[in-house]
Amino acid sequence: MTTVRIFFEKRGEAAYISLLDLQRVFHRLLKISGLPVWYTLGFNPHIYLSFSCPLSLGQESICESCEVKTEAPAVDGDAWAAALQPLMPRGIRILRVAPAQDKPGEIASAEYAITMPASSAAALDAYNERTGAPVVKKTKRGQKTLELKEYLPRVEYQLEGESLHFTLTLPSASGEGVNLNPALLLGFLETLGGAPAWQCTVLRTHLYTKNGKDFC
Amino acid sequence: MPEVVNTISPKLREALGQVQKPGRYTGGEPGCTYKDKSEVDVRMAFCFPDTYEIGMSFLGEKILYELLNRHENWWCERAFMPWTDMKAEMERLGIPLYCLESKDPLTDFDIVGFSLEYELCYTNVLAMLRLSGIPLRAADRDERWPLIIAGGPCVCNAEPMADFFDIMQLGEGEQMLQDICATVEQGKKLGWNKETLLLALAKIPGVYVPSFYDVRYLEDGRVESIRPNRPGVPERVTKAIINMDDYTPPENFVVPMVGAVQDRASVEVLRGCVRGCRFCQAGQIYRPFRERSPQLISDSARVLCHNTGYDELSLTSLSTSDHSRLEDILDGLNSWAEQDHVSLSLPSLRVDNFSQSLVEKTTKVRKSGLTFAAEAGTQRLRDVINKNVTWEQIERGCRIAFEEGYTSVKLYFMMGLPTETLEDIKGIADTAQKVVDLYYSLDHAKGKGVQVTCSVACFVPKPDTPFQFCAQDRRETLREKQKYLLSCVHSRKIKVNYHDSATSVLEGVFAKGDRRLGKVIETAFENGAFFDTWEEYFDFDRWQAAFAACGLDPDFYNYRPLGLDEVTPWSHLDVGVSHGFLVREYEKALRAETTQPCNRQCNGCGANKLLGGPCFDYSQDLL
Ligand code: SF4
Repeated sequence: MTTVRIFFEKRGEAAYISLLDLQRVFHRLLKISGLPVWYTLGFNPHIYLSFSCPLSLGQESICESCEVKTEAPAVDGDAWAAALQPLMPRGIRILRVAPAQDKPGEIASAEYAITMPASSAAALDAYNERTGAPVVKKTKRGQKTLELKEYLPRVEYQLEGESLHFTLTLPSASGEGVNLNPALLLGFLETLGGAPAWQCTVLRTHLYTKNGKDFC
Repeated sequence: MPEVVNTISPKLREALGQVQKPGRYTGGEPGCTYKDKSEVDVRMAFCFPDTYEIGMSFLGEKILYELLNRHENWWCERAFMPWTDMKAEMERLGIPLYCLESKDPLTDFDIVGFSLEYELCYTNVLAMLRLSGIPLRAADRDERWPLIIAGGPCVCNAEPMADFFDIMQLGEGEQMLQDICATVEQGKKLGWNKETLLLALAKIPGVYVPSFYDVRYLEDGRVESIRPNRPGVPERVTKAIINMDDYTPPENFVVPMVGAVQDRASVEVLRGCVRGCRFCQAGQIYRPFRERSPQLISDSARVLCHNTGYDELSLTSLSTSDHSRLEDILDGLNSWAEQDHVSLSLPSLRVDNFSQSLVEKTTKVRKSGLTFAAEAGTQRLRDVINKNVTWEQIERGCRIAFEEGYTSVKLYFMMGLPTETLEDIKGIADTAQKVVDLYYSLDHAKGKGVQVTCSVACFVPKPDTPFQFCAQDRRETLREKQKYLLSCVHSRKIKVNYHDSATSVLEGVFAKGDRRLGKVIETAFENGAFFDTWEEYFDFDRWQAAFAACGLDPDFYNYRPLGLDEVTPWSHLDVGVSHGFLVREYEKALRAETTQPCNRQCNGCGANKLLGGPCFDYSQDLL
């Protein structure tokens, strides 16, 4: 049995598809595609599907992935991608389909490209001058206070006309490890007079493994 | 890095960031149709005046969406009523109501069509027009505005909404809506003004142009006459109708990503109903009964399941088990369903022809709860309403179900039926008790109890039915009856569900209302009414205030019996059944006399004229 990873972009209106809905959509579309995906055994067989590090609603990504299994001896990635693409909801673009190299547990961090209105520059400057930036993170077990500065001592940004850009690398572990959502920083910046979250765009550009390579 | 077209504008992004389930407002679902708007001649916005979840469960829209989009130069898109949080955001940010596919505002469309499925959605129609910035009243719109049209069962009494629509479609939309689009296309090419366009549209079978008719009233408020006010406009509009095998049922659906109420494949197996239940409007207005052939049903259902990936298929119609070749249909479907991982469900089984082999054929894959529509608690009242079901049939159906392993049964009843007495109410409880007793008299699985749910709806007299002449029961009376029913139930195995009747009062008023109600609807809307179907937004006091402000008495419409010779507000809208037939059936009802189903004997309702011949070939023994 081979684990196959489907890499895709999730942009535009597709950014508003929740994980639960996305699972249903993929399940249905994989079924339609007739690709030789593996069904779980048992009374009510369904396609084995697993998404790594799902995004928050409204955030976009060019490095999403979903893994399935197959008993097929060989996987023609291009053929799989060609079979899936026409079925996909608008905003989801299949980038690549290939046998999985890394385990999802290897994912350690994620890179994001953030765009904010230029008027938020003052809030970023204020952030950079501060010594502490405590934020409250909601987890399954309740609330937890985190120090953002431990992960992001400074944020260097570029102004470009009406907007400003920066890149963030944040810990992003699937499972038990630390997992930071860029929304935490944006929320903190808003308390410093930064733009509200809806005026900012968050685009996930990379998922990295522990040894700093792209997750694949 | 290749760019994906991002169709979310900054304002819309802001709104989506503040609301629950934003996926309802983004579109992009698998199965959508996209076209290049610079290359289409007619753009239609198909609007459903309720939430996305409810609208996406509605088969009529899927049928018409596919039919219209098959025309290369027409583009039909969808719009729904945004939930209150999204509506507030759109108002705050000045986002006009838009269609999900292109995100273009409704004002960019040639035709904006609303589906009127139930009376309580009327204020939502106005809310959607307002959100689009379109004037509410047809008289305030010239040819620069989109043509605002309506369809759906409520059009059989179009009058309460007549002021708001340019045209209303009586009957089945498959051909009529295509004819409307073709006429609009022609009108655009020739630069017609609105009057010329409406005159051309009025020639299409089933199309009703409200502004072409004048209504006169008697001093006591009843309608005196409804007459066309232009030459060449028909005295009565006759509903449009199709032949079921001339139209392939939809072979693809837009598959919702945010859960719709009915999220499964469905195929319509027949239209109309052979029973003439006297309370049932659908049973009258969809006449005559027409079947689709088993081969077409099975073939297109298979394609549909394949295209959508659905693993559940339901066979829909008013009464699926009345299809004369139901076993053939099931055999056809079962020949591929299992191998395609598709399970079948029949939502409208009837007790009286519920057979062992039917249960087996539909429960190969899944067992869900069973429902039986008994409608009334005593045989006398069932005869009055012509629900030709006997206790023996209910017992037989339940026995088969229990023997097949079902442990819960839902029984549907109505309250407030003509001639009803407390004995009939007690009969509801007695029927449920007899079903419980039946379960325990059989060999049932040890330790497994039975659950009998009685769902009791308030009866609302509807136009084009033999009970249109009847007054609706008053709220106080219904409350007394509900209390009495509860006092008659003595088992914990029986659960009784019923609704407060305030919404049914309004439903009754609009169902039989006249054109003057337009201003009541408008007043209530301006005072904040919308989502009246949702208990939490329905405010009866606001409605009463609106009636008072317009100087109209709601009781006049629903609590007053109609004279058998009275001109009704819908007398110019012909759904096929004749006035004489309705009177005959009403009189038989008062005598508790039943009428045979159409497939056994024609009762001369007049609907066969729509087909141009008899509805059934009685020379063959059909039953
Ligand atoms: S014409 Fe006769 S058979 Fe046809 S619908 Fe009417 S009563 Fe039934």
